[in-house]
Amino acid sequence: MPSSRFKISGGTLYDPVHGIDGQVRDLWIQDGKIVAAPTDPQVRADKTLDAAGMVVMPGGIDMHCHIAGPKVNVARKMRPEEKRLAPKVLRTATTHGGTMGSVPSTFATGYKYAGMGYTTAFDAAIPPLAARHVHEEFDDTPCIDKGFYVLVGNNHYIMRAIQEQEPERLKAFLGWLLSSAKGYAPKMVNPGGVEVWKQRQGGNVSNLDSVVEHFNVTPRQIIRSVAQAAEELKLPHRVHIHANNLGLPGNWTTTLETMQALEGHGGHLTHIQFHSYGGGAGDEDTFNSKAVQLAEYVNSHPNITIDVGQVMFGHTTSMTGDGPLGYYLSNIYKSKWFSSDTEMEAGCGIAPIEYKNKSLIHSLQWAIGLEWYLLVEDPWRVVMSTDHPNGGSFLAYPQIVRLLMDRTWRNDVLKTVSPLVRKRSALANLDREYSLYEICIITRSGPARILGLKNKGHLGPGADADITIYTPHDNKETMFELPRYVIKSGEVIVELGEVRDPVRGKTLHVAPDYDHGVEADIAQWFEKYYSIRFRNYPVTEDYMRQHETIACGG
Amino acid sequence: MPLRLVYKAQTSVPVEVEGLVPSFVREQSLAETERFEIFHGNEKLPLAEFFSVSGSPGDERIDFEGNLAGVHWIGAGMSEGVVHVAGDAGRHVGSEMTGGEIHVSGNAGDWVGGEMHGGLIHVRGRAGHLVGSAYRGSARGMTGGTILIGGEVGNEIGHTMRRGLLAVGGGCGDFVGLNMIAGTIFVFGPCGIRPGAGMRRGTIGLFGSTPPKLLPTFRPGSRDKPLVLQLLFRQLRKLDFPLDDALVNAEYRMYHGDMVATGRGELLLPERAT
Repeated sequence: MPSSRFKISGGTLYDPVHGIDGQVRDLWIQDGKIVAAPTDPQVRADKTLDAAGMVVMPGGIDMHCHIAGPKVNVARKMRPEEKRLAPKVLRTATTHGGTMGSVPSTFATGYKYAGMGYTTAFDAAIPPLAARHVHEEFDDTPCIDKGFYVLVGNNHYIMRAIQEQEPERLKAFLGWLLSSAKGYAPKMVNPGGVEVWKQRQGGNVSNLDSVVEHFNVTPRQIIRSVAQAAEELKLPHRVHIHANNLGLPGNWTTTLETMQALEGHGGHLTHIQFHSYGGGAGDEDTFNSKAVQLAEYVNSHPNITIDVGQVMFGHTTSMTGDGPLGYYLSNIYKSKWFSSDTEMEAGCGIAPIEYKNKSLIHSLQWAIGLEWYLLVEDPWRVVMSTDHPNGGSFLAYPQIVRLLMDRTWRNDVLKTVSPLVRKRSALANLDREYSLYEICIITRSGPARILGLKNKGHLGPGADADITIYTPHDNKETMFELPRYVIKSGEVIVELGEVRDPVRGKTLHVAPDYDHGVEADIAQWFEKYYSIRFRNYPVTEDYMRQHETIACGG
Repeated sequence: MPLRLVYKAQTSVPVEVEGLVPSFVREQSLAETERFEIFHGNEKLPLAEFFSVSGSPGDERIDFEGNLAGVHWIGAGMSEGVVHVAGDAGRHVGSEMTGGEIHVSGNAGDWVGGEMHGGLIHVRGRAGHLVGSAYRGSARGMTGGTILIGGEVGNEIGHTMRRGLLAVGGGCGDFVGLNMIAGTIFVFGPCGIRPGAGMRRGTIGLFGSTPPKLLPTFRPGSRDKPLVLQLLFRQLRKLDFPLDDALVNAEYRMYHGDMVATGRGELLLPERAT
């Protein structure tokens, strides 16, 4: 029996991958995929959704957020006071109840992403030791496809391989690690710095050439070596880099050096807003934006992509694999603080924070984020993110869309923040306004391309039928916060923000080819140092109810 | 004539009647009340599938009958009127209520009067844990009103309580008055470990026949017959709460604590002949 055909008729399509900029077309869906329109005019759809007058885009993709794993769970438990005051997510006949606040519960996370028109999200910082836990939480995060990046920037085995100048062993280990965790990409968080923090009180690296004691490696060596290995493994998303010195005045030179350290290898610098600060180290009075200088470098180096990490005003929870950063923030805010040491692999810091629009620092952070969107000339290389929940909730994306598309409103908001922002950033002089086409790029097509997801971020035949349909509105925040329909894998799962029929969503991961000869050495390493036996470490495919292996080799 | 709701369902899945309070049903016809949707697990179903509905809703009195141990949130959020439960009740009886009265002839589950702000709850039988307490994440538990429990209760009653009176005829579990801010708790039976831990102000009377072991962060103070106890005991008797005459006439030793907090709370223990 042939599978049913679903037609979305008469919508105004935005599909930058195919150069479609607001053209009225029909979309045909079969077996959860977009298919070519039937050549036989007699063929009728089994179900038709009339999208006349509506805007049709691929489902949104959040390529950098924190939605699963131990750090997220700790943050949930750390802030019961926030959850008590937040609106409840009430259960229905088809959905689970949940909690909100800056770190929503698993089910609520899936529902809220879908309700906003996002159908894919990647958690950006998972210690591989916690991979099994993450897959279990992903199983409870419905409506969206998910994946995660594996923390490698302070992994002892990797630093030892660099120290012993064994790039082939590093490459094989990276391949094994990603395969074992069922992760998607290598993530470096404050490379080397977290290890120093774990070694001694208040420790960190200060620049790319600081030496990580015991291993005698530098952040520069870690970045270069992992980027090289990722390139040779032909990973779909090469390396995801949270650079050193996040949040510190004057850190822009470190960020520039990090970009240079890639030496032409592909690399993604994440939440770049937090890494674009001028001023003297430790001197907040001279704090200013260096987005212009850094954006010039990005504009002239096509090997580099970025996501912004936009700060939005209000309360949130900072969670990071950057242990010393967590400590730094907790000291600033005098708030609760959680720090952890994940054996041979990583660290973690969590602290509640608040961004205030009357604060010069916070206002500048907000402005620098917007500068990045407006200064990067090629929208395919800049991605919308708040580093949820670090800069703000993913639920702020519609507000960011409005800030980018409505210059008048942006300037109105600029008037409400600290007046010194006009002197210390270029935001007031930036007149650019995004078009819907460009918004589609920075929220879907661009991240899909950067992640190497060939079946996402577009509306051509073969694409996953993850589609968001909006009712046009002059206020783009209104338009983007409440899609008319959200379609996931060919099923209508959301109507006007209400989840009708949640689908499970699949886990996206990679399985790179690597030299399996390395496993004997890793096994010895495990038996010597880990709290878990080697054979119990890898997550097998049958642990995921729905998954897709994304091919390497691009 | 009250609105009479006789529980007829036989289900092990929790039933939740949040919103079914006297001020709401007063405005509804019987047919509308029958159609009022309540949760049965994750399903929303009409009230009539679980209860036989009769009587008059206009009197601002609801009489529940049957075994309602699996029916939760009875009288939650009510502001006026009277609710009677002839039998047992589930969790969250009178949660966050601001006024009115709830009378339960049997036992009740956990969270009786959770974050209650006013009114009266009288459970003749036992109650579970966290009576009059703050929900997780809240800065304050019960902030007003009176809760009377005839039998025993569980742990952490009066957790972060801010104001009001909570009296327990039987014994209580551990951590009575944990982090209490103010208000009054009386326990007439034995009590578990660490009474008043972290309390800042307020009064906890522990009147059981066996003196509890106190935390070392409580300091003994005066021996007295506090007038306030006489007044409160008189109020309890008016509310049909049984009291031993010996307690009314006893002398009490006051302990100040918890010194790990502000140390301005009081524990009152009857002085007994040794």
